[in-house]
Amino acid sequence: MKLMAAPRFVDIDIISKCNLKCLYCAHFTSAGDVESDLPTDAWLNFFEELGRCAVMIASLGGGEPFLRKDLKELLLGIVKNRMRFAILSNGTLITEEIAAFIKATGRCNYVQVSIDGSGPLAHEVYRGEGNFERTMNGLRVLQKYGVPVTARVTIHRHNVHDLEGIARLLLEDTGLPSFSTNAASYMGLCRQNTEEVQLTVDERTLAMETLLKLGKKYNGRITANAGPLAEARMWTEMERARREGKESLPGRGYLRSCGGVFSKIAVRADGVIVPCIQMGHIDLGQVEEDNLRDVWQNHAALNCLRQRQGIHLGDFEFCAGCVYIPFCSGNCPALAYNLLGKENHPSPDACLRRFLAEGGRLPMEQALALL
Amino acid sequence: MHRHVRKEDLPMEDKPVANPMVVLREEFDDWAILFDPDTAQAYGLNPVGVFVWKRLDGNHTLSEILQELRATCEDSPAEANDHMNNFVKKLVEKGLAGYEITKVDHLQIPHGEPG
Repeated sequence: MKLMAAPRFVDIDIISKCNLKCLYCAHFTSAGDVESDLPTDAWLNFFEELGRCAVMIASLGGGEPFLRKDLKELLLGIVKNRMRFAILSNGTLITEEIAAFIKATGRCNYVQVSIDGSGPLAHEVYRGEGNFERTMNGLRVLQKYGVPVTARVTIHRHNVHDLEGIARLLLEDTGLPSFSTNAASYMGLCRQNTEEVQLTVDERTLAMETLLKLGKKYNGRITANAGPLAEARMWTEMERARREGKESLPGRGYLRSCGGVFSKIAVRADGVIVPCIQMGHIDLGQVEEDNLRDVWQNHAALNCLRQRQGIHLGDFEFCAGCVYIPFCSGNCPALAYNLLGKENHPSPDACLRRFLAEGGRLPMEQALALL
Repeated sequence: MHRHVRKEDLPMEDKPVANPMVVLREEFDDWAILFDPDTAQAYGLNPVGVFVWKRLDGNHTLSEILQELRATCEDSPAEANDHMNNFVKKLVEKGLAGYEITKVDHLQIPHGEPG
């Protein structure tokens, strides 16, 4: 197993606090929901270390990054250490001043703003009253100053019927080049509100059908690494391989997801180094105390996660007798942890066999025509 | 160095300098990525490219770098010369390398000529 000398990308929760408390937030009540944030100097020292490690991109999240009063100073620290950055935000606190500043750095890959509806109704049901206009305003300010901006749509029970409107708003009316989607997942606060928030099997089927259709209409400008659109593509590929009698798909049949631990690492707001923001419970070390390169190359827990891709799905009772084993990647270890308390297990939430057994339908013909 | 220098080649006595804003990211097996954070462009470098890049410090001439390369690498091909020159030329064209600017001392402008 070849390993890079240091990570290419680092995801950083620069703040734990947020001005919103969205009902499905993956951060609140997770291991990353910490009391204290690292002070400015500690982050700046860490950015110097990232520079020495030749890290290319720092992605800043939280919490809400624009709540940090020292955000400009932190961004300058990233620029000084020859990195680029991205910011993940709810968009409600973005001012003309900070947008102009971000543009002037010349190093911003994008600011990602969360938008959940084509209007206040769907957006604010879980994100709080008055926030649709604030968010849209933030997005427009970023556009005004020429900051690369994208949107993330988290699909839940109250916006699954609004997807066409959301696509129209973002891609036509607002003119974003693209947006990404996922779904409210069993993480953070969502765990307490799953019945109210998470898609039912029928809604998941509907979301897949709608997103595939919209993906075609908007010529690939809707993307996904998780959630219904990603599942529609992955599951269709699996079902097609099965129907065609293929023995396997390349790299499948093992716990191959996800490959993030080979190129990325993450840091919680309190400076604890973790494999991924969604796996904040795995403590790999502490910023300013532990050497990042050493953690990256030698930490047993991180190497254990890398070795999970040698674990065959046939070893799990959960997968016993499943015809999809040779085509399956086991999916997100963080979701498996949240659902089962263990990372080294296939994620039940992304199990095609279970989805079909519960009455889910694959938009096969539609998807096959698009693949 | 008795080599015919084509018109489009960089002179072998040149001493190019790596752009200090560009990041050399050594990954595995001596391969690397050159990352320009200002443009977000990244370029793959093979081990010979890494060897050359590390010597673009404004002190080594291209001839010296080539000489060192030949001494270090067994079986370096006859056309190593051209390969290296092309490689450095591309770096210069992309802004990944350049030349140190020589300071002009205005006090030495000959008397009587306009300053």
